[in-house]
Formats: sequence, C-alpha cells, structure tokens
Amino acid sequence: MGGKVTCTLGEVKNRADFIIYWGGNPADCHPLHFSRYTLIPKGKHVPEGRKGRTMVLVDVRETPSAKHADILLQVKPGKDFEVITTLRALVKNQPVDAARVAETGLTLEQLQDFVDRMKNARFGVLFFGMGLSMTRGKHMNSAAALALVAELNAYTKFVSMPMRGHGNVTGADVVMRWTTGFPFGVSMSRGYPRFNPGEFSTIDVLVRGDNDATLVLGADPGATMPQPAIDHLARTPTIVLDPKVTHTSRLARVHITTATTGISAPGTVYRMDEIPLPLKPILESPYPTDEEVVHRILEKVKEKPAWTPASYKEVPCA
Amino acid sequence: MLRITGGRVYDPANEVDGEVRDVCISGGRIVEEVTGADVRTIDAAGMVVFPGGVDVHTHVAGGALNFARAMTPENHRNAAKFTHSPELRAGVGGTTPSTFATGYLYAGLGYTTVNEAAVPVLSARHTHEELRDTPLVDKSCCVLMANNELILDLLEEGETERAKHLLAWHLWAAKGYGVKAVNPGGVTAWKWGKDAKILSEPVPGYSKVTPAKIISSMAAMVDELELPHPMHLHCNNLGAPGNIDTTIETMKVLDGHRAHMAHLQFHSYGGDDWDTLRSESVRLAEFFNEQPNLTADAGAILFGDSVTITADGPWQHLLYQLTGRKWGNLDVENETGCGVVPYTYKGTNMVNAVQWAVGLELLLLINDPWRIYLTTDHPNGACFWRYPEIIHLLMNADFRRECIEKLPDKALKRIHLPGIDREYTLSEIAIIISAGPARALGMPQKGHLGVGADADVVLYNDDSDRERMFGHPRYLLKGGEVVVEEGDIRKMVDGREFIVRPSYDDNIEEYLRPLFEQYYTMSFENYPVEMERLEGADIRECG
Repeated sequence: MGGKVTCTLGEVKNRADFIIYWGGNPADCHPLHFSRYTLIPKGKHVPEGRKGRTMVLVDVRETPSAKHADILLQVKPGKDFEVITTLRALVKNQPVDAARVAETGLTLEQLQDFVDRMKNARFGVLFFGMGLSMTRGKHMNSAAALALVAELNAYTKFVSMPMRGHGNVTGADVVMRWTTGFPFGVSMSRGYPRFNPGEFSTIDVLVRGDNDATLVLGADPGATMPQPAIDHLARTPTIVLDPKVTHTSRLARVHITTATTGISAPGTVYRMDEIPLPLKPILESPYPTDEEVVHRILEKVKEKPAWTPASYKEVPCA
Repeated sequence: MLRITGGRVYDPANEVDGEVRDVCISGGRIVEEVTGADVRTIDAAGMVVFPGGVDVHTHVAGGALNFARAMTPENHRNAAKFTHSPELRAGVGGTTPSTFATGYLYAGLGYTTVNEAAVPVLSARHTHEELRDTPLVDKSCCVLMANNELILDLLEEGETERAKHLLAWHLWAAKGYGVKAVNPGGVTAWKWGKDAKILSEPVPGYSKVTPAKIISSMAAMVDELELPHPMHLHCNNLGAPGNIDTTIETMKVLDGHRAHMAHLQFHSYGGDDWDTLRSESVRLAEFFNEQPNLTADAGAILFGDSVTITADGPWQHLLYQLTGRKWGNLDVENETGCGVVPYTYKGTNMVNAVQWAVGLELLLLINDPWRIYLTTDHPNGACFWRYPEIIHLLMNADFRRECIEKLPDKALKRIHLPGIDREYTLSEIAIIISAGPARALGMPQKGHLGVGADADVVLYNDDSDRERMFGHPRYLLKGGEVVVEEGDIRKMVDGREFIVRPSYDDNIEEYLRPLFEQYYTMSFENYPVEMERLEGADIRECG
C-alpha cells in the first residue's frame, strides 16, 4: 500500500463530475479553488460547469464550504479513519457492522450511497485537507484515503490530491527531492543527505534542542509550532528572512527584511499539483531578495575554512 | 591544450578500430595537432580511448522522476552516498538519484551526454530546472506529444498541416530537442480509465483518430520539420504478453518514416498470458534488420530493485494490480500522464528471466550495431549505473552461459539466448554506447573523436573484467576539461542543453490561445519555458 493517484488541476476542470472535499474548508482557505479548477468552470468534457458536477463535503462541522456542497457528510471528530476503512470495505462489497458504523456519526445507508456515487462517477476526485491529515490518525488517515482512491480505479477513474497551501511549501518539497533525494526531514550533518521523519523533521529537531542556530525562510514557525520548539528558537540564535514582521521575527536575534517574492522579486512557485508557475515582479523594492541574501551569507561562509569529513569520496553502501 | 598519447583509440564513426594514436584537444574541441610548452600530456599507455558515452533514452529529471523520489525513500536509505566537498555537492544514488549525483554517476561511467526521454510541456520548466542542477553531462529532452489532445483534435478534423505547426510550437515552448510518442492514444484513453490496444481502432473519445493514425502522421511531421532526432516512439501494449504483433504492426504503419523505437525489450513478447510468455526477439530482430528507417534502444533489464516510471498510465495500473505494491499516477491536463510503480526483477521468476534474456538477445541479434543502443530505460529495467554489467554480458559468452544456467528451467524453453555465441568487440561497444546514439540523436559533434568534435573523451583501463573496466574510467574529459582523473571526480563543469527551434506559422498562437484559455489552468503567457531557465542552451534551427 502506498503511493498517490493524482492529476493536474486542469484534469479536474475538464473531466471531474464527482468532487469530494474531506477535512478542508476551501471556501475560506483556498478561495479560488471552486471557481478556477473544480466546481464552476465549464470543462472540455463537463460543458455544463457546476450543473455537471456533484460535490460532497466530508467534515466534522458545517463550514462555509458546506453551502457549495450537494451532500454534507458530518463525521464525528476523530472518526475519519473508521469512515474511510468502511468505505474501502463497501467498495469491495465486504460486510460491515452497522453498529460500528453508527459510531462514526454516519449511517450505513449514507456510506453505501456515497460508495455507489463514487463507483458510478465518470471521473472522481478526492481533495483532502489538514482536517484529515493532521487529526487523530494523521498519516494513517492520509494513507487510507490514498488507498481508497487507488482501489476505486478498479471500477472507474478516480484521483486524489492533498490541499496544500502555506506559500510555496510544494516548491520547497519539490526542490528538496531533486537536490537531496528526499522531500523533507533531511539531515546533512554527516555531509550527505539522510531522511528520517520524526528525527530530522524541523519540529523534532527544535523540541529536542539539537540545533544551535536556525535560519528561517518564507515561514513563520513562531506562529504555528509547539511551544517547546518556539522556546528553542528564542533561546538560540535565530535569523529570519521575511518581508514583514512576524511572530518568528519578533523572537529572532536577526531579522533581514527582504523583497516580497511575486510582488517585487521574481521566482517560481509550485502549485499544489506540482506545476511550476513563474513569478514576475510588478513593483521595485528597496530590499534585497531572499536569494541575494542567502547567496551573500554563503559567500561569507565560503571564506571560512572548508569543513569536510576525513574522506569525501563516495561512502560505500551500508 | 592537451594531448592523450599511447592509448588504443576506438572511434568507430571515423573507422578507427583500436589503433594507437594521439588525440589532441584545444578550446574544448578535438583538433589535428597541439604544440607548445603549455600542452598537458596524458599518458594513456595500457588504456583504451573512447568518445564520451551518449544515453539516448533515460529518465533523470522532471515531474515524473521527482514523483518517484518522493514515493521511494526506502530505495535511497542504503544507496550510494555523495558527501559534499569543496568541489562536489551532496546527494544520493540508488534507483532515482538526486540531480547532482546523477551527473557524478554518469561521469563515473564515462558518459557525457544524456537524453531525458519524457517531458510534458506543462511541467517542462521543472525538467529544465533539474537538468540545470545535473552537472558534467550535456542534455536534451524529448517532449511528449502523442496524447496531446489539442493535436489529436486537429487530426480528428483532418487538419494535419495545422497539427504540424502546433507540434512545432509546443516543441519550442517546452525548449525540447525531440518528439516523444508514448502509447499513442492510450494515455489519453487512460484519462477515462481505458487504453488503446489495437492500432486500427479509434481512440476512446475520437471517431477517426486511431493509434496508427497518430503514429504515421506524427512521424511524418517530425520528418517534414527536419528535426535532428526521429520520432522517439514507445509502442502501444508495452510489457504485455503477445505484444510482438503490435510492435511489428507499428513498424509497418511507419511506412518508411524515421523512428527511434524505445526500450524494444518491453515490446518483444509472444504468448497469450503470463504463463505462456516467451521471447520473440528472433522474429523482431529479423523484421527490424530489414527496416533501415528505424533505430532502437534495448531497454534491457537486470535482476534487482528498480522503480518503473512511464507515461504509460494504464500499464502502471495493471502493474500495481499485479504486484500489490505502491502506485503513483499523475495525469497531466490535455497532454499526457505518468505512472510510478516500484518493481523487483527476480532471477527466479520465469517472466523476469525471459525479459532479462530478451534485452540481451535484441542487442545480439540485431545485426547492425549502428541501429541498436545500450539502455535499460533507466530506472525501469535497471539503473543506468549498472550498464557495465550488461557490457560484460555482451562481451563474454562464457559469462553469459554461467548466468543462463541460474535461470529457472521453464524459462529456458522460452528464450533464444543459449544458442547465441556472438561476443561484442570493443569497437561495437563504442558504437552502442556512444557513436550510434549520437548519430540517432543527430548530434554531429558527439560520439566521435574526429577533428571538430566536442572533446568528450573517456579513458578506460584495458581490463579483461569488462564490468570493472567500464564501471571505473581512469580519465574523463568533458569539453576538454579533465573532470575525472585517476578514477576520481576532480572538477565540476556544467553541461549544455541542446534544443531545437523548428519553423512554424506564427499565426498558430492565435488558434491556440483561446483553446488554451478554455482547457488549461495557467495563463498562456506562462506556458512556454523562458530561455533564461536554461543554462548553456545550444539552439538548432530546423525546417
């Protein structure tokens, strides 16, 4: 089990007649998603636009996205994994226990209807947000959702996509992969990339206090990370590159103001479907770009004697 | 300025076959003679001198490969590690190496040019960003066209001429070098969960467009545009038992137009199902030998772990169902798709054993080495850094027999390899890893050591263990710079990117823009890759 069955957003626009949002509130968090990619546009094979599509919202509460949905399935908090597992069983016509299903806040009839609709879709898509991937079960929830979609392809065309956001997080992930071979949670402390989420991911490193300095680029961990991680950022030298004053810049030892990427600095942003878009600046800024600042820091670092392990030749396989 | 002296030179393009002679280099090119006090001399006594290797078909950069990296971190945990140093960037090897490691690993084989074989226009910007971070090798890209629905829509309406202009526009927009056709019609059918298995049947969603029509019209367009590389073709029915009929039918449909048949090993099977699968390499080679318009690469497999990455979405769904392993799928709007499934080829598995034999059989049975090239369809059949194992198998029939003895008995009845005694010569190896693919790519400055050629030169120890020999070059020169010395990478140089600018009617943009705005999800202005994205672009005007 594993992997991801997905597509670019234009495929959804041109083909999707059945759209699920699970654990996310795009009406507030991705406000152009409905109008640009999923619900409203007239697609090549969905010429009717909104009328040609059915939207199901699965969430623990009725968010502002609910008024855009044809069907709302309100799950009890923390029961997403159970719902997905039930759906996977129903897809394969396996028996399920109606009493256990009731604990999820949904009825067997609702779920059977949901499965019938999924199987009868011409082109289905499941978008899932942090309400699924960051609540009880976490990555197990995501894995179950991805597996459900993969298995539906035995019956019809079905794809999935995580609703990523937070600036250019997809771009950071993409570039890390091609430069180090891994998407995140990479340690270079031995001079070559090692990947171990839970050990080398940022929050874990900060909470354990493993690092003695932090460079923050295009992020505001002071606003979102757990308190012990924030405490460590405040305790040790933290350098922030950001156009604005942020929670992190307030606790940082150094804040270098940089030009805003996309407004006064060029660059590339990767969309949530990993399609790269060029950014063209429209205004001039008195501030340097993030790239210039990092390059200048790197030049200074290079003036120091090189740190290299005893042998920098290829390390043989473990 | 530099002189390589005392080595046995293999330069088949210039009919030099193992003669001891000097190779002189100045200004990044091969020259007749160098003189003066500042000429460095490399004593190549006991070594053989080859033109730098050229990989005609590999997957080293872009959205699909990066998707595979995300999916298979376990393949990199125990892979070769590259530690950063004042000269080198850090990285990992393994089934889908990081970009810098890819450059180092290719240089570590003596390769200096690679052709990335599958690039969607929509994410070509990403591919070029990665190629920019792939040092030591020159690069080119083949752009995925045979499932581009805007082009297929024109073929449906019989507007072949306009389709040609659109194809040329897309090739330039992607900053590509060649045209790639993957499972023509089948990938677009996969957008509805279907496939296109019969060449003469309409592609789902069309009434007149068949795979055969796509193949013949696109090959004709590539010839009319006078592109340096013929249409690069991944046939329908990849990997399926009995697909030999489709492959031969495809060659017939091409009707004399040029084509490069990619990873032929995956397209030469007989039988009706997995239990009756057998090698059809003899039939395929006999037919192929009579088709002078065609070239091919082997797409050989080796036993071990790999990850399969292809634009052939329906095949990958089947492979996922067969193996129960991870499955990645990424459909690209209006253009193409991509599937990723990790796979382990096992020497004890009958099907895998037949596949192993078929790759070698094609290399041994296709009688003109100028038309069949060494590839593994990296990382599909095996990783490119395992090429020396295949060279050893081709050059040593005794070693091959030892390997055949280890195959399962039921595979032996289904292959031809035990009856083949041919052994490759060094000159023939130089053709299949360098001179031949350079010619097929239409790169006159590559794959040879004649005056004016790029000074991409590799020096190997003349070692009877051919695997060790080709896996550890003593010296590698890239554009005249000594980058590998005594087996170590000593210097970092950036590669160039070869691109073509085919001629097309500028009015095609007026036709395309409204369709693009209707069917795509980015602005039209952002679609073409900007020249600034490329490092050292080498532009060839065509048509």
